[in-house]
Formats: sequence, structure tokens, C-alpha cells
Amino acid sequence: MTNTKTFKRSKTARLIMMVPAAGLVLAGCGEKPVEVQVFNSPDECAAYYNPPAECKAAFDDAKALHPQVAPRYASKQECETDFGNGQCETAPVLAANNTVPTEQTQQSQQSSGFFMPMMMGFMAGQMLNRGGMAGAPQQQAAAANRSPVPNQPLYKSRDDRSTFRTATNTAVANQPGSTSIRPSAVQPKPASMARRGGFGAQAAKRNVGSYGG
Amino acid sequence: MKRVNSTPRPGWQAFAQSVGFNFHTFDGEPYWDESAYYQFSLQQIEQDLEQPTEELHQMALDLVDDIVNNEQMLQQLAIPRQFWDAVRSSWQNQQPHLYGRMDFSYNGTGPAKLLELNYDTPTSLYETGFFQWVWLEDQLMRGELPQGADQFNSLQDKLQQAFSELDLPQPFYFASVTESIEDKGTVDYLMDIALQAGINSRYIQLEQLGDIDGQLVDLEGFPIQGLFKLYPWEFMLQEDFASTIVTSQTQFLEPLWKCLLSNKGILPLLWQKYQGHPNLLPAFFDDGSALQNGWVRKPLLSREGANIELVTSDGKALKQDGPYNDSGYIRQALAPLPQFNGNYALIGSWVVADSAAGICIREDNSLITKDSSRFLPHIILD
Repeated sequence: MTNTKTFKRSKTARLIMMVPAAGLVLAGCGEKPVEVQVFNSPDECAAYYNPPAECKAAFDDAKALHPQVAPRYASKQECETDFGNGQCETAPVLAANNTVPTEQTQQSQQSSGFFMPMMMGFMAGQMLNRGGMAGAPQQQAAAANRSPVPNQPLYKSRDDRSTFRTATNTAVANQPGSTSIRPSAVQPKPASMARRGGFGAQAAKRNVGSYGG
Repeated sequence: MKRVNSTPRPGWQAFAQSVGFNFHTFDGEPYWDESAYYQFSLQQIEQDLEQPTEELHQMALDLVDDIVNNEQMLQQLAIPRQFWDAVRSSWQNQQPHLYGRMDFSYNGTGPAKLLELNYDTPTSLYETGFFQWVWLEDQLMRGELPQGADQFNSLQDKLQQAFSELDLPQPFYFASVTESIEDKGTVDYLMDIALQAGINSRYIQLEQLGDIDGQLVDLEGFPIQGLFKLYPWEFMLQEDFASTIVTSQTQFLEPLWKCLLSNKGILPLLWQKYQGHPNLLPAFFDDGSALQNGWVRKPLLSREGANIELVTSDGKALKQDGPYNDSGYIRQALAPLPQFNGNYALIGSWVVADSAAGICIREDNSLITKDSSRFLPHIILD
């Protein structure tokens, strides 16, 4: 017998995302931390028993990356709100491929009109030779695996002058020297040119439970 | 139409949590309330609610066509002048819409009276389309409801069908205000349905939307070509990124022209065009004079019963405070909500694409339905 009754309700109502399924665990939890070193300056790096030449090389890598990855702000004031008075500089124009123009063109280079924080330190991700200070065996083993973390610039926020942060605002250490981090958390990305926070002000002002109705 | 007491399913709260219904209780007060349900006849549903919903929807769409070409009406709705062209072209380009809800005063007899259209950011969608549906199936299975009981609730089926037919740009983004768990719940539900319809769906917090040279971008700076935003157009049109709405190559759900219909000013305009229609209440733009008995004053732009003021036919005044006191007002003849066991019941009637798609019932101990009003399930039984 065929059921010819027409129902006024949905035939099925299932959920695939809102109901957590077993086995859907966050990817990345199994990632192994690696050891890197962070310093205020190349001299400080060398003082931590690292080869001065490697310190200088890591610092130079970070300095080159700095204008490409530093967060960008439309005004100096906005930048200083995050990084402190006198801690911001003008950001150069980035070419379409997100690189800084070569030295030949830099003399005539225009400011992009954006501001970025000054580089306050650097992360050395590939320091192989620990100089006079032999690393513990597991550190050497980790280093032998070649750290997947690029050398990169570090920044310090206005409110917290002791913490080293990456360009994407990941806190990595409170003091110079060795620290342990997850590589995926410190991969440099092109500077964000986007303005954000342009929607939501009315919600903050009215502060009700829902903006639907 | 009647209200029937019912035994709540044991442990339903834990079940609710497990399926993402994190706002079933508000400030210790029940929001989802299955201690009773409403029962309708099929005729009440089809003749008094479903058919008028589709008719009113078409009337409202016809009115949009008038408004976009009428400066006086755009002014009456307080649409900022610099967006008139954008509103008009969103309509003339036939930017598709997804859903809306109209609210009715209806007591089981006579024509349902349209109180307002929630056509931009309607919520209580998950409660209607999913949780109410599961309640019916559960209670049928447990033998707590008469066999053959049905529900006017094809919401999820129709939403899924709409998502498959809309031809949306992908990935398609969904945004809501970060702090609102109710809004996040609604957006999660829509994303879930969109995923089931095969749409590559992504969430972004509303406050995290970015702008690069007038194009909306996601957290990684990629252009957002399609965006469902559970955030009122009238807010967006006055915020920092308002100009981005016009320049960004982004298809919005709901489209910009919906700001005309979610505006309470649509009620006097509907009355002007269709005066005397059985489902419409007399409505006018407010002149600021004292309210007569049997009238209600509503802001052009407000939600959840906020800033509504009314005087009953026997002269009792009632006022709901709220944060929406910065727009003009309309007044509308009062169609008091019917009372069942001391509870005032409001019927929300859903529209998906252009079809009526089900109802939800909200109860309050006051004539003004609010965000905190309880949600009760319903059945159809002849």
C-alpha cells in the first residue's frame, strides 16, 4: 500500500557539523615542539655561546623579512596604541609579489602610507652549532632534524615589554635564550594589509543578547 | 488551536547540549519549554497561516519594487541617501534572498494579523527547524503524542533545497557577532545545512571581517565573494565599513534590499497599498502624538520587542525599554496576542525562498514578546 499522506514537516532533519562525531579531533595536536632561540640583538645572541657569524646571519634574515611580515596600520597612532610611543616606523610599499623592492629601487621608494612596529628582536630557528655550550643530547637530536622554523623578526607590545611576539602576535618567550615552540604557530605570513573591525560597533554599543529577531 | 500540557522528555537538556542547543535556558529561565505544546487543525495551518504567509510575502515583494523607485518612501524608511542606489540595484539585479519570518497575532479563528516582518536577521531558526522537529519525532516514538500528529515545519528541507539552488559563490562565509551564543547557534545551523547541500562553508566572526581596497576579505586576506551575515543592515550602513558594502564584490545573504522589509516602516506602506486586506492591521508613520487606546508604537528599527509601547483597548499602558530609541516610529492598531492559560502566544511563520516553511510559537507573560519569551513546540492534529 502506498502512503499518499502529505506531511507538513521535513522528511529528515539531521546535523553533520553541530553534532560532534567521534574521531573528529583537532588536527595538529600531535605536532612536536621544536627548540629555537630568541634574542634582542646579534651581540646578545653571540653572548649566549652561539657563533657570531650565525647570529649575524639569522639577524639579517629576520631584518629582511621584517617589512614583509610586520603588521601594518593605517596610522602611526593606531600602531603606537599596540606597540608603544616611538616604537613604529613607516612601512615600505610592497611589490605585488609581496616582496620589498631591491636596493636599487629603494632610494626612490615611496612610503606605502602604512605604519609598522619596529623589529625588537629575532628568532633563530636554525642555529646548528651551539658554540662553546653543547646542547643536551635531545636538543642536538632536534637540531639535527633541522628546525622547520624560519629565522624571523620579533616584536614587543606596548603593554608587555618583556615578551617576544611574532608578527602574527604569537607570544614565544619572556626572556632571551632557548624556548620551545610548535612550528606551525610561528610560520611567517605576508603582512596583513586589511583593515578590520569595521563592523560590529552597533552591537558593542547596544549590548543585547542577539542581533537577530 | 489549543494549548495542551505535556510531560517533558526526561533528560532533554543534556540531549539539547549534545546537539549544539546551548541557549535552551536563558539566565536560569527556560527558553525551550516542552511542558506544553500548541495543537492546530490542518485547516487552521493551511488556510489561516500557510496561504496568508505566501500571499503577504508576495505583497511585500511587490512593494519593494515601488519603494526602490520612490524617494519619499526611502526617506520614510530612513534609508541613508548614499545607499539608495545600492539598495535599488540589489533589487533590480535580482539578488536572491534566503529566508524571513513574519509574526502573527492569531487565536485559531479569523484572519491572522501581521504584526511585523523579520526579513533581515530572523532567529529561532534552529529551534524551529531542528529541535522542534526532533521533539515531535521523539514524542511520537514514546507514544506521548497521538499517532498521526504532524507539524507545520518543512524549514530544514526547504533551507537545504534553497542552498542547493541558489548557486552561491564558494567558499561561502557565515558571520555573526562574537559574543552572541544565540546568533552563533543560528549561524552554525545554517552552515550545517549549507554543508549538507554541498556548499563549502566557512565561519568568520563579524568583527574580524577585513577590508582591502574596498573588498571584504577573510582572515588570510582572501576576498569574500559570498557572505551570510546575521547582523542588521541598518547597523552595517552606519559603521566604519559601510562604504565597503557598495564597493566589495560580495553577494550578501540577506541581500541589501531586505533592509526595506525588515524595517517597521513597511507596515504603514503595506497598509497604504493594500488597505483593508484581512491580514493587515491599520498602520501609519508616527506623528508623535499620544497613543490612543488600542494602538501600539514601534521603532522603525528594533528587535526582540525592544522599545515598544502600547495602550490596550481599555486604556492600560505597557512599555518595553530597550536600546533602539534612535530611529523614527510607526503606530499600528493593536491586535492583542491571544491568551492560553495566562500565557500570551505569538506565531512566527517562516518563509524560505518564496514558500511558507513552518511556524514557531513564542509565549510570554506580557503582551510584548521579547528575546526571553519561551519557545513552545506545536503539532497538527485533526
